[in-house]
This record gives sequence, C-alpha cells and structure tokens, in this order.
Amino acid sequence: MITGVLTFVFFFAIVGCVLYGRKLIRTEKVDAVFGNPERAKGGVHWVIVGSSFLLLIWLYYSWDIAKSFFPKSANELCQVGKVNESLLGLKYLFPIEQRQFKSTAIIQKETENLNEILLEINQSDLKNQDKNTLISFIDKTKKTIPLLTDENLLENETKEKIDVLAEKIFTLSENFSKSDFPNESVEDEKKRIQEANQEGTWSASSTSIENTIEIPSIPKTKRGLKFQAAAEELNLISDEFFEIRNHNSQYRNAYDKLSKEIKDFRSDLNSSDEIVSSFAKDILKIARRIEYASIFPPNALVNMQASIEKFDEVQNKEQGGLRWVDIFLFPSGTIISSGPSCSEQGSGRWLPKPSDTLNKFVLMMNPNVGFKQIPLIWYEMMDVSKIIGFILPDWIADILPGEYPVHNEKGEVNSNFKSKVLSFVTGDFELFKIPIPTGHIWDSFLRVFLGLVAGIIIGVPLGLFMGLNRFAKGFFDPLIELYRPVPPLAWAPLIISVLGIDNFGKVFLLFMVSLSIMIISARAGASGTQLSKIHAAHSLGASKWQILRHVIFPNSLPEILTGIRVATGMCWGTLVAAEFLAGTTGVGFVENVAKKYFQYEVIWITIFIMGMLGLLFDITIRKIIDKTIPWRGKG
Amino acid sequence: MKKIISTVLGILFAFTLNYSVANSAAKEVRVAYFLEWPSPNLEDMNKKAYSDALGVPVKWTNFTNGVAMTDAMLAGDIDISYSQGLMPYINAVKAKAPISLVDIAMEYGMGGTTCVTSNKSGITKANASELEGKKVAVPLGTMAEYVFTESMKIVGADRKKMDIIAMDPEEGAAALVSGDVVMACLFGGNSIKSATAVGTRLLTVDEARAGGIMGIDIVSVTNKFMKENPGMVKSFVELTHDANQRYRSGNSDLNAMAKESEMKIADMKDTLSGFKFLTPKETKKSMKSGNLSKFLKGFDTPKGTVTTKFLP
Repeated sequence: MITGVLTFVFFFAIVGCVLYGRKLIRTEKVDAVFGNPERAKGGVHWVIVGSSFLLLIWLYYSWDIAKSFFPKSANELCQVGKVNESLLGLKYLFPIEQRQFKSTAIIQKETENLNEILLEINQSDLKNQDKNTLISFIDKTKKTIPLLTDENLLENETKEKIDVLAEKIFTLSENFSKSDFPNESVEDEKKRIQEANQEGTWSASSTSIENTIEIPSIPKTKRGLKFQAAAEELNLISDEFFEIRNHNSQYRNAYDKLSKEIKDFRSDLNSSDEIVSSFAKDILKIARRIEYASIFPPNALVNMQASIEKFDEVQNKEQGGLRWVDIFLFPSGTIISSGPSCSEQGSGRWLPKPSDTLNKFVLMMNPNVGFKQIPLIWYEMMDVSKIIGFILPDWIADILPGEYPVHNEKGEVNSNFKSKVLSFVTGDFELFKIPIPTGHIWDSFLRVFLGLVAGIIIGVPLGLFMGLNRFAKGFFDPLIELYRPVPPLAWAPLIISVLGIDNFGKVFLLFMVSLSIMIISARAGASGTQLSKIHAAHSLGASKWQILRHVIFPNSLPEILTGIRVATGMCWGTLVAAEFLAGTTGVGFVENVAKKYFQYEVIWITIFIMGMLGLLFDITIRKIIDKTIPWRGKG
Repeated sequence: MKKIISTVLGILFAFTLNYSVANSAAKEVRVAYFLEWPSPNLEDMNKKAYSDALGVPVKWTNFTNGVAMTDAMLAGDIDISYSQGLMPYINAVKAKAPISLVDIAMEYGMGGTTCVTSNKSGITKANASELEGKKVAVPLGTMAEYVFTESMKIVGADRKKMDIIAMDPEEGAAALVSGDVVMACLFGGNSIKSATAVGTRLLTVDEARAGGIMGIDIVSVTNKFMKENPGMVKSFVELTHDANQRYRSGNSDLNAMAKESEMKIADMKDTLSGFKFLTPKETKKSMKSGNLSKFLKGFDTPKGTVTTKFLP
C-alpha cells in the first residue's frame, strides 16, 4: 500500500520537477556564459529528480512495485515456474530454445571424441596388432549410432509409447485452455484456499526475517491452480519419456557384443599394456554414453516436439496479463520453481525490497536484537573507575615497597596498602557510572577515528618537518615512498598475524593508511608556501617558531585538510576489508557474516550504514574546512 | 539530453536482458572442490578422466569453504560442487537456492574437522567452561561450526558466552598459533596440523564419534544443470564411485591424489584415515533413511532436494 503511494509520489515528483526545471530555463534570463560556475548554482528540483529516480529504480528492480500492485503475481508466477521446470528436460531435447536437437549434439560431440582417440592411437607407438583392434572398436562404436538413428529399426513399441506421450501433451493443451480445468471439486477448493491462506503471502526472504515464506507455493487463484495441475501432469509425462530408451534388439546386440569384446580384450592384456587398456576403456565409455543418451531417429520425435510447442503456445496464451507483469515488473529475473519451493531469482533476490530492508533495519536497531547479540549502536553504563584503571599503568603498584597480602590460616585475605593501590590502578573499585556508546557501528567508527587521529598527530608534524628540513626529507623519503604506493589492504594479512586480530591491529592498519597521506599533504603544503610571505614575516622580526606557526602552518592548512578528507575515505575502505578478515564486531564483520547466511537485507543495511557514516565524516570535515580556512580558493 | 536518456535506457535494457545468459549448451562442466581435502577421485581429475567420461572438458576450481561454492553455483559459474559440506548446503537450500543433493562424497569423524585448544590456555575437555568469555575462531556457516556447536554441548560450555570470531581455517590456525584465540575450529589437513602443533584437540576422534558428531560431505548440482544434462551428472557420480571403489581396494595412485590436494602423502593418509567413502548401496541407504536423512531432518531442511536417481 505505502509502496504503491510512494511509487506515484516519486513518479509525479520526477515529472513535476522536470517540467518546473524546463520552465525555469525558459523564463530565466541567463547572462552567464558557458563555464561560469554561477550556472551550476541552485537547482533543488534536480536533487529531487535525482533522488526520486534512484528510489524508483530501487523499487522497480527489487520488484517492490510488482509486489504492491500485483500481490498475487508471485504466487501465480510460481505455478508458471513449476510448468517451466517440468518442461525443462523435455524442451532441452529439441531446438526450441537450443540451436540443435540434443541427439544431434551428442552424435556430433561423440564422433568428435572418437576421432580424437583415433588420432591419438594412430600417433602412438603401439603395436600394429593392438592398433588395429582398437581402431576396429572405434569403427564398431561408430556403427552403433546408425542403429539408433535408423527409422526402420525403431521398434513399434517405442514408437507407440512416444506417440502416447505426445498425445497426452496434446490433450493437456486442449484441456488447459478450458476454463474449468482441472475440474476441482468444491471441497478441494475450500481446502486449497484454506491451506493457501495459512501459508501466508509474498514476503521477505526467510534468511533474514524468521518465520516468513518468500513465495507461497500453494496456488491461490484459479489461474495458478491450472498451471500447477498441468505441471504435475507434465512431470509424470517427462519422467515416463526419459525412461524410454531407443534400444532396439539390433542395437542391443551390437552394443552388448562390443562391450563384451572390449572387456575381454582388456582382461587379456598384460599389465604392461596400460596405454592400450586405457584407450579401450575410453572407447567403451563413449559407447556407454551413447547408450545412456536418448538418441532417436531424426523424425521419431516430430510429434513430441509439435506437442510441446503447442503446449508452450497455449500456456503463454493462458498466462494472459501475467506475462506482461512478468516482463515489465519483474526486470532481470523472475520467480522460478525448484524442487519443493519457489524463490525470487534475479535482481529481486539480491536487491531486497525497501520495505523489507527497513523492517530488518528497525529490528536490528533494537539493542536487544542487534546482530549476533551485539547492538548496532547503543550505550552501556560504565564505571569511571575503569577509565582511571585504563589510564594509570599497573606497574605503579608493583614498584611500591612491601609485599602483596597472603591469606592467613583462617583462610582470610586482608588487604594492605599495596593491594589497595593495585585495585586503584586496575580500576577495581566503584565510583559513579556514565553512559558509553557501544555496538557494531560505534566500534567501526572508533577504529577509523583513532587511526585517523594517530595519523594526523604523527603525520602532520613529520610532513612539515620533511618540507622544511633537508635531513628529514632525505632520511624519511625512501621509507615513505616505498610503503605509500602499496595498497593498504596488502598489509592487512601481515598486520593481523603480527599485531593480532584485536582492535590494535586494525587501528594500526588505518594509522598506516592515514599517515602516508597526511605526510604527503603536509609536506606539499609546507614546501608550497610562497617565499615572499616568509621573507615578509622574517623582516618584521618573526622567530623561527612564529614563522612556522603563523605563516607556514596556515599556508599548508588547505592541503592538510584536503589530505584528511582523502584519508577518511581511504580509512573507510580499508576498515571494512580489515573487519572482513577477522573480527567479532564492526560493520564489516556484520556484512561478512550476513553474506554467509545469504541475508541480503543485512548486506544492504551495512552498505547503507557505511555510506551514511562516510558522508557524516565528510560533512564534518567540510564544515571544519569552511570554518578554518575561509580563504581557500579565493586568492 | 536526448543522448543521455537513450544511453541510460540502453544500459537498463542491457541489464534486464543479461540474466538469460547461462551455460545453456554445456560445452564444459565446471566443478568446485577443496584443496587439503583429499578424495580418490582427485586421481581421475589429475588424469583428466572426468573429461573423458563426460565427453566435454571439465574445469576444476578450488574453494576455501562451501558457502562460496553455493555463491558460485547461484551466480552460474559452477555446475557441480564436489564435497561441499552439509551445513553450507542446508543453509543454501533454506535460502531457497535452486541446487540439489545427488551423492554423498564422504562421511567423516572429527579427524578432518575439529576444534583445537591452545596448550598455553590450559583448556581441555575437563575445564571447557573456561572457554566462556574467551575468543574462539570458527568458520561460520560451515561444517566446522556444526562441530563446534555439538562439541560445546558435549563438554558443557555455553557458546553464547564466547567471543566467536568468523575466520577461515587457515586464518584460524594462524590466530591460534599467535595466541589471539584460545580455540580454533577448523577443517583441512594442513590447517589442523599447524593448529595441533601448538594445541590439542578438544575431543579426540573417538570421543567425538561416541558423542555422535559426524560430518557428511555431499555432491550438489544446480537444478538447471541436473535437468538439462542428467547423463553428465550420472557419469560424474559413477566415475566418483569407481574411484572410491578403487581406493577401497587399495589401487589408488596416492601421488596423484596428494599432488591435486596439495598435501604431503603422509598428511594426506592421515586425513584420509578419518574419511569413509560409501559404496553406492550405503549411499542410498544414508540418503533415504541413514545418517544423511537424519541430519537433514535434524536441521529442518526443506524436503525434495535430495535425489538418489543418479547413483549407480
């Protein structure tokens, strides 16, 4: 319902905004020439068009539009899918969707294979006698093929069986177009509808939201029932057909004789004639494949093919409007049936519907659910003492004079000054509690933030130093230049084995990423300072520190802040991959685990979260840039 | 503007059409398998016997876990998965993946899939509840996760209280060596070997067997391939069982197998000793009423995805 309304809203938003935009262009007196940035200003209506277009695409390709306007189509298409599934094997035999008859293709392929073996035998240095025997085997195998394809040899019984099956399909096609097919009794209908209602409706995939079924498979409509009944019958026909073997007595004799000859020949061979034996075995294999394949005379299956084509025609006609729904509202894929269930295969599978995704997102935001018992983002109460314990090093207690308490004979432990200090520095006491954020998103955020800050704190001074000092430049340059071009992910496996899978390893990896970028940008900023400004400051009596603080640093700020922006983006990219490798928390971890259980909704949620967080970082930095260096791009 | 619109429409159109491109004529068969997971049919793979038996070239691609095999099958890049674990298969079928189980590759005890605790941590079966609150590496969604869950039930530890880290076996073994985790659940000979160098198995092979922990690896095929090329599926299954028979009678070429599984012969023999390659008869029984069918029932697997008709 909501999806339906939204679809119209987006559609009319696009149309309205496009019309408005065109009107604006006509009424506006544009005196700005092409290339003037003024021309790109404003245009909220185009933003609306852009986002509406994106959302519309999402609704369309996730098949949500189909779901809201034709909620029963999935169930009906499931029945059509059953028919297609039952016809799959039969159709494959004929040039309906293929280029060739399957028999033709098999004969071609196997003749080719036989010729290859023949060539190999001729080129090998076997004894002539063996060669001749093998070649005679090949000849005999080849000669079994005409026995299968000769119309006159086709046994009447086989012929009749095929005709009966073809007739069955013809009858089915005829009945199929009747409106009361398959003559369901009132009781059966009641029962079916009851069962179908129990089964539920088209909903989210069961992999991510429990107790839902993706596509209900019991037919809900008359049309669906028709297809299901036909599918059942076709399955029987198909099974019967594939049991038919075109093994007439002549072929049977020839094949049995051949296989016996080859077997005898192989058993007479010495162990030294391994090559001959394997050649003979290969030939026998081909003969067996020919035996197993359903090879028929070229005209034996004409009836069968016609009946299938006829049925296809009828069933396409019977689909009626459903066919158009399938083509236009189920882009790049459709509902297919396989075995006991129907499922979405195509974009509807990996692009979950916006409504399902939102549901799942709301569910995951619930701190009690989260993902793997860890909330996405929430808070927990933490005692301030833990922070004190984290900051103060534990060895403070160790270096105090005295010994730690030992238990006495009564089994009691009396604490002394030293043990009290120890519990203070390890944070083992109670103060007051403050809320601390926690959860997957927070963990990822914190990792990026720490890596970035560490990179800035070390990278910026080092970069400035390198830009100003010959020694620093020469000394650090080889190191930086060697490690900078390495893609950060190349370090990931190494760092994880050396520094462990904890936060430290990941933060260090991000630090490495941001460090090189910060150094490069700070250095470029420092060496790009105009000499005249430095001279001016110097002649006014500025000290070295004052020149650095008031001239060089502000001058390199634009470069540094741009560097931070670039580094943030790189850190996000690296973080997700690092969390893929090993982790217990983090957005990348969530995505990686979700993939293992085919939870596409969750995957898209993580992608969305990462996009949003990246955007948040970027906007923050942009604000900082606007605040701190308002002169950028103005001189 | 017109040009832009037509370009966009063209791209959308192409996107809509591309789904129908698949391996329609079966000019080659693409099979997924594992390294470090030896089986007799690797000899046939080595000698290209599969290509001869199926009549078309057979391309083997190795994977690190069964989940990735399903992914590749769904994407249409793999036709047959050999020795996919039963857990990934069950997860896939529950997610409505159009694949079917046609054969059992092997049944195995904890020899090939196991949980190893580090010696440093001092955790053994007796004090396994100490694992709670510590870090353990588990390749989620694979047979190793099943072994992990069942082992924890046997030793009486609560898996919900553990810090479970999703890691592939090779990484899990490395993390155990470096001391990042106190226990790693893994499969594959080389990974287990490097893990047991610094640790011990939580449950011995016999203890695990007594506890009813058993793994089953299966052969799965995409439904499309199965319907269109039943002959090839049959030949594949037949040749595999021939190879198993050859192994049972002791005529396998161990060098070829070791080469293809990228293991040393001694390690491979060790891994193989834990495997049981079933005869066609046993396979059928297992699929219909034995271990496999019980296993599938235990996990509420949708019915109708197992077929015995390709067994010799």
